[in-house]
Amino acid sequence: MHSEIHSRYLLNRRSFLSSTMTGLSSIALAQLLASQNLLLGAVPDKTPIRPNIDPQRPNLARQPHFAPAAKNVIVIFCAGACSQIDTFDYKPELIRMHGKPMPGEQVVTFQGGQGNLQKSPWEFKPRGESGKMVSTLVDRLGEMADDMCFIHSLTGKTNTHGPGENFMSTGFTLDGFPSMGAWVTYALGSENNNLPAYVAIPDPRGTPQSSVNNWGPGFLPAVFQGTDFNAARPIRNLARPQGIPGNEDIATREFLKRMNERHLAHFPGDTELSARIASYELAARMQLSVPEISDLSTEPEHILKMYGADDPENKLKSGFARNCILARRLIEQGVRFVQLFNGAYQTGGEGTSNWDGHKFLKKQYDVHGPILDQPAAALLKDLKQCGLLEETLVVWCTEFGRMPTFQQGASGRDHNPAGFTAWLAGAGVKRGYTYGATDEFGYKAVENVATVYDFHATILRLLGLDHERLSFYHNGIERRLTDVHGNVINDLLTRA
Amino acid sequence: MNGRTKITRVTMLSLMLAASFSEFLVAQESGSASLEPKQPVDYGRDVRPIFAAHCYSCHGPDKQESNFRLDIKSHALGQGDFGELPIVPGDSRQSLLIGYVSGKDADLTMPPADAGGTLSTDQVDTLRRWINEGADWPDELAGDATRKTMSTDHWSFQPVVDYPPPVVDLETTGSFPLRNGIDQFIASRLALNGIRPSEPADRVSFIRRIYLDMHGLLPTPEQVRAFVNDDSDNAYSNLIGQVLESDHYGERWARHWLDVARFGESTGYEVNRDRANAYFYRDYVIESLNRDKPYRDFVVEQLAGDAVGVDEATGFLVGGAYDIVKSPDINLTLMQREDELADYVNTTSTAFLGLTVGCARCHNHKFDPILQSDYYSLQAVFAGVEHGERQLTSQIPAGVLESLAETESKLEAQENRLAEMRTAFPVAETTTGLLPTVNAKLNTDSFETVEARFLRFTIHQTNQSEPCIDELEVYSTEDINVALASLGCSVKSSGDYPNNTKHKLEHINDGKVGNDFSWISNTQGSGWVQLEFPEIVHINRVVWGRERNGAFADRLAIGYAISVSTDEKVWHEVSGSRRRLPFLVNGRESEDEFIGRLTGDAAAEATRLVQTIKQLRESISNFQKSIPVGYIGKFKTPPVTRRLYRGDPLSPKEEVVPDILTVLGTLGLQPDEPEQNRRLKLAQWIASDDNPLTARVIVNRVWHYHFGRGIVSTPSDFGKNGAAPTHPELLDWLTERFIEHHWSLKWLHREILSSSTYQQSSRPRTEALSKDADCKWLWRFPLRRLEAEAIRDCVLQLTGKLNSKAGGPGFLLFKIDRENVHHYFPLEEFGPEQFRRMIYMTKIRQEQDEVFGVFDCPDGGQAIPNRNQSTTALQALNMLNSQFVIEQAGFLADRLAAEAGEDTESQILRAYDLAFSRSPNDLEMKDACELANQYGLAAFCRALLNANEFLFVR
Repeated sequence: MHSEIHSRYLLNRRSFLSSTMTGLSSIALAQLLASQNLLLGAVPDKTPIRPNIDPQRPNLARQPHFAPAAKNVIVIFCAGACSQIDTFDYKPELIRMHGKPMPGEQVVTFQGGQGNLQKSPWEFKPRGESGKMVSTLVDRLGEMADDMCFIHSLTGKTNTHGPGENFMSTGFTLDGFPSMGAWVTYALGSENNNLPAYVAIPDPRGTPQSSVNNWGPGFLPAVFQGTDFNAARPIRNLARPQGIPGNEDIATREFLKRMNERHLAHFPGDTELSARIASYELAARMQLSVPEISDLSTEPEHILKMYGADDPENKLKSGFARNCILARRLIEQGVRFVQLFNGAYQTGGEGTSNWDGHKFLKKQYDVHGPILDQPAAALLKDLKQCGLLEETLVVWCTEFGRMPTFQQGASGRDHNPAGFTAWLAGAGVKRGYTYGATDEFGYKAVENVATVYDFHATILRLLGLDHERLSFYHNGIERRLTDVHGNVINDLLTRA
Repeated sequence: MNGRTKITRVTMLSLMLAASFSEFLVAQESGSASLEPKQPVDYGRDVRPIFAAHCYSCHGPDKQESNFRLDIKSHALGQGDFGELPIVPGDSRQSLLIGYVSGKDADLTMPPADAGGTLSTDQVDTLRRWINEGADWPDELAGDATRKTMSTDHWSFQPVVDYPPPVVDLETTGSFPLRNGIDQFIASRLALNGIRPSEPADRVSFIRRIYLDMHGLLPTPEQVRAFVNDDSDNAYSNLIGQVLESDHYGERWARHWLDVARFGESTGYEVNRDRANAYFYRDYVIESLNRDKPYRDFVVEQLAGDAVGVDEATGFLVGGAYDIVKSPDINLTLMQREDELADYVNTTSTAFLGLTVGCARCHNHKFDPILQSDYYSLQAVFAGVEHGERQLTSQIPAGVLESLAETESKLEAQENRLAEMRTAFPVAETTTGLLPTVNAKLNTDSFETVEARFLRFTIHQTNQSEPCIDELEVYSTEDINVALASLGCSVKSSGDYPNNTKHKLEHINDGKVGNDFSWISNTQGSGWVQLEFPEIVHINRVVWGRERNGAFADRLAIGYAISVSTDEKVWHEVSGSRRRLPFLVNGRESEDEFIGRLTGDAAAEATRLVQTIKQLRESISNFQKSIPVGYIGKFKTPPVTRRLYRGDPLSPKEEVVPDILTVLGTLGLQPDEPEQNRRLKLAQWIASDDNPLTARVIVNRVWHYHFGRGIVSTPSDFGKNGAAPTHPELLDWLTERFIEHHWSLKWLHREILSSSTYQQSSRPRTEALSKDADCKWLWRFPLRRLEAEAIRDCVLQLTGKLNSKAGGPGFLLFKIDRENVHHYFPLEEFGPEQFRRMIYMTKIRQEQDEVFGVFDCPDGGQAIPNRNQSTTALQALNMLNSQFVIEQAGFLADRLAAEAGEDTESQILRAYDLAFSRSPNDLEMKDACELANQYGLAAFCRALLNANEFLFVR
């Protein structure tokens, strides 16, 4: 069974061609059997599925394992650990017990000793038909609550940022594993051949703590890594170098192509060489399509306004808003996976440029809330109004939660992986739905406790991928995004 | 067979492998009969129906999740993948099965919800009782009459066999000369597949291939011409010899090993601090390769270099990422340590043995004969290893050792003289009449009767830490302990030990003794307690101790004073440590105390001695500081290692002894084996001629890097889940010779480079492509793209900018902002330092070289035995448009102009000669001249640096 493992040759057209038939037909057969309920009662097939990759077009769209609910994904990642207590996880008991010690034994904190329970400085209001209580810190997102599917019972495995971000983005707390976006593009390719299949959009303030690990390929081929650029900072080396005129550039590239083709003539049929020629053609197409997609000047004024991209006062907000518009434009063009970061870990200390509100929660979140709120809410609204939300899954997440207490001698909350919130919206997920719960103070997940693995398994499920089968052979192990864990949270799905 | 391996076949392995499924049971009924309370549980009647209805679908004839099945007795009573027994006859509480079915662990409730849901309470009770009653399982229902005994028949665990190279029918080989055994094995296998090998490559292709492969650099035009024109019989072997003698070989091949060793020069994770002195290990690898150090020594040094005088080699152990931000949650911190240990175990076992031992961290290995306890035995070998820096005793500057020795001998002389003086002036002679030295259990301070309303016990020195007193008793002339709280005595203190329940102030006079009822001050080495009696008392004795049961002797007040007062204003000292014999530290009184009781010449001499000793110690410390330190790991006394249930540090099980895999024998070490010896013994075992894996694994790695694919295409996994060898006999034949040639890597390279197999043309042939598109039978030399490092080095070499400075601290491609978290900002200008070979680039995790990182360049996060070779648009953009490449294209144009003059044709000619080792044909010349004449030579150079012909080994 394993005599044909050769991951180095994953992108080898020769083996691609020889294996395509069997690979596709077995999936097709499974689908056929499944559709006729012939597999019912049988033990589900959990043999690994490794996609066949055409080396000349590695991002060509590929079939999912079963009918998908969502075609593509936008992940809004709030870096720094955004507090569930002050956003989406409403706890009346916390308000009642405000200022008192949290009952029970002393909990483990990350940075400071544990102080008393602290209600959120922001008021919670019932929203929409669902009546979901959402804080005024994220007022406009709150208005979209009827479109969201909340998970209040997520739990993590670490309470430090780097490993926490790794865990949320790659399924491992350790460095060096492929990101969820890399897994998805490895599995599914992309609908657009002129743009990268996977785009990571860093916050205007910089990159998150775990930096490129959040969108890295790990041991997957580099072609599946996220390409990072945002509305303000284009893809590195995308533009023709300064000082080289356009006609020279074109002439040089045409010359290069002739050179490579003459060389290929000595190696007829060698697809490693022709794949490299093809990559220059994609690069050329990207040079046209990426600036076009990043050029927001064609966006109507009311759209810029809706996102807050025109806000002259709050440059960070308008910057993030432009990133949100970029995310929509990418999805519109069939880009498979977009990761939109809110918050950065750059110089300036904790909580200044991200959600790590240890010491000055009110002051810092009053800065971060508005940057996130209007643009992200507008993105959701915009996707909805243009119909994209029907085929797009929007994921809002963060690396872990925060404490219902303040730290001793500080007015902010410490790290808390014992219970935190994420939400999904769009294709295939229930609307205005709440799953799982933390305890009466919002400290610890107690009802329908879910893991990050479950979260990942569910996202893959929505994309038509079996998290137990999507696999890449590496160092003797059939590696998976969810390692050996994870269960799809069927309760979140419109059709399980 | 040469009997190289001693394989112990262990019956425990019978748990690991699939057995024959010839017989299986089909459940006839479901549910369980309700039982009378006293009636014993019957397996056939009560238990099997439960298993059949609820468990067999995943743990039965068709499927054995976790390698566990409940339809066969011997399996059900074995341990599956769990590492311990699901069914412990007679003890349901120790039986995993009961834990699973009773839903104690929400994550692991069996049967899972999607397989029919949980068992009823009655059913669980039935199983519990059956186990408690001894889990009787009649043999006639054992279900496995035909079960095969399993063994480690996996090929890589078998001894290396000295196969003779096969006789090859020359009809099948065409113009492919059989130069050595390699060619015989390859040709014979090709013949079996009906494919002819290729003719030899032309000399230009060959010299480019061997330079790019062995040095990661291009041959110079002069080297090409010399080889092409060498018509001697030794032309090829001379070339191979030259290539192997160059130190560029080590610079190229070290990169391969550093990938396997997941070597990086920053911590990774969130703070990602750089390791400025990790490069010693990189230089060690380069030098070991260049000196052709026998591979077995290379192995031993990397695991136990401190034991064999090669300290820098242990950089291998700590080359990986390391999370220095420790979680305050002890459970998470324990897991971080487990992850570190797993990194040592995994890297060692994959790099040297090609075994994925790390898979057995939570359960027995699913494919290979590796028990969970084996993982922890190996972990015990590394239990004393920690990340960090250590002195490089092999890198000490000249003269330092001599000066150090000299100073140490001076120090010894002075210390000896001081010791003589101590003997000459013994404590007892000058201190008669004193009370005995304080001791931890009990001390009595008697004094003339005094009046007191207050008594203060002040501590100014302890033997270590904050002082502790378990009970302070004060006796009146009536011999009553008037200090007792119960008699109305109150107490206050300088401050109490925070955050604990045992050591409270009220314990000082509660009448209870022992550590659990003691007071500790909140100050290192000092503190006081003060008693206030309800009325004036007449006292003459104080009794106190640190721990009267003798359980602890730390925190002892060795310098103290007892004072009394009637008004809390005027105090009289009534006793204290000055009335006692000095407390001896390390068996003697302190130097200050000693001098203090001497007079005259003796005092002067002792003072001088003490001063000199202090100076000498300082200069020794300075010498030691001048010894370089490297990031090569630290070693401490290892704690006890225990197997962890499901890898969970909170579920420690039995203690394990440092050892190797059960299936491969034993090291015979003691549970408390000294730290270094654990690693040394493991290393020597790995590097022994008898180890069936080690030599095979390195031979295959070398083959892999030469041909782009190993004989085993999974170079770090020689287990069952890895690939089978395409040429098992060849692998063994080469391995056998390699060992015979004293594990010489250069011998192995030479053997491969000299073969016709390696020297074949790389041209594809339609008929061969149709039979073997992957070229796994090696009918041609497989062409491949250069790796990131070789591309960068070749660009610099071509433009004439390559700085050949070797070794030492690496160059940085970033400006580092060293906050708590390190931030890296790419340099915007490059100079000669950045133009060194990329092996000398300080390898920062998560921060790739902006241009070449996207060429599947690993960042040291995980071990990479086998780089991907992807082709992406970002690579194209970087090579076309990056500032680095544009600048280099300009340098190349300058070089061409300088070397070939003004004439465009001469410039193009020179460019082809340098970059492609050939001359352009007319068409190429015309095309190139047109571009260069219209847009300038730099435009042509930019294209050249992007050409496939430049970037591929062919």
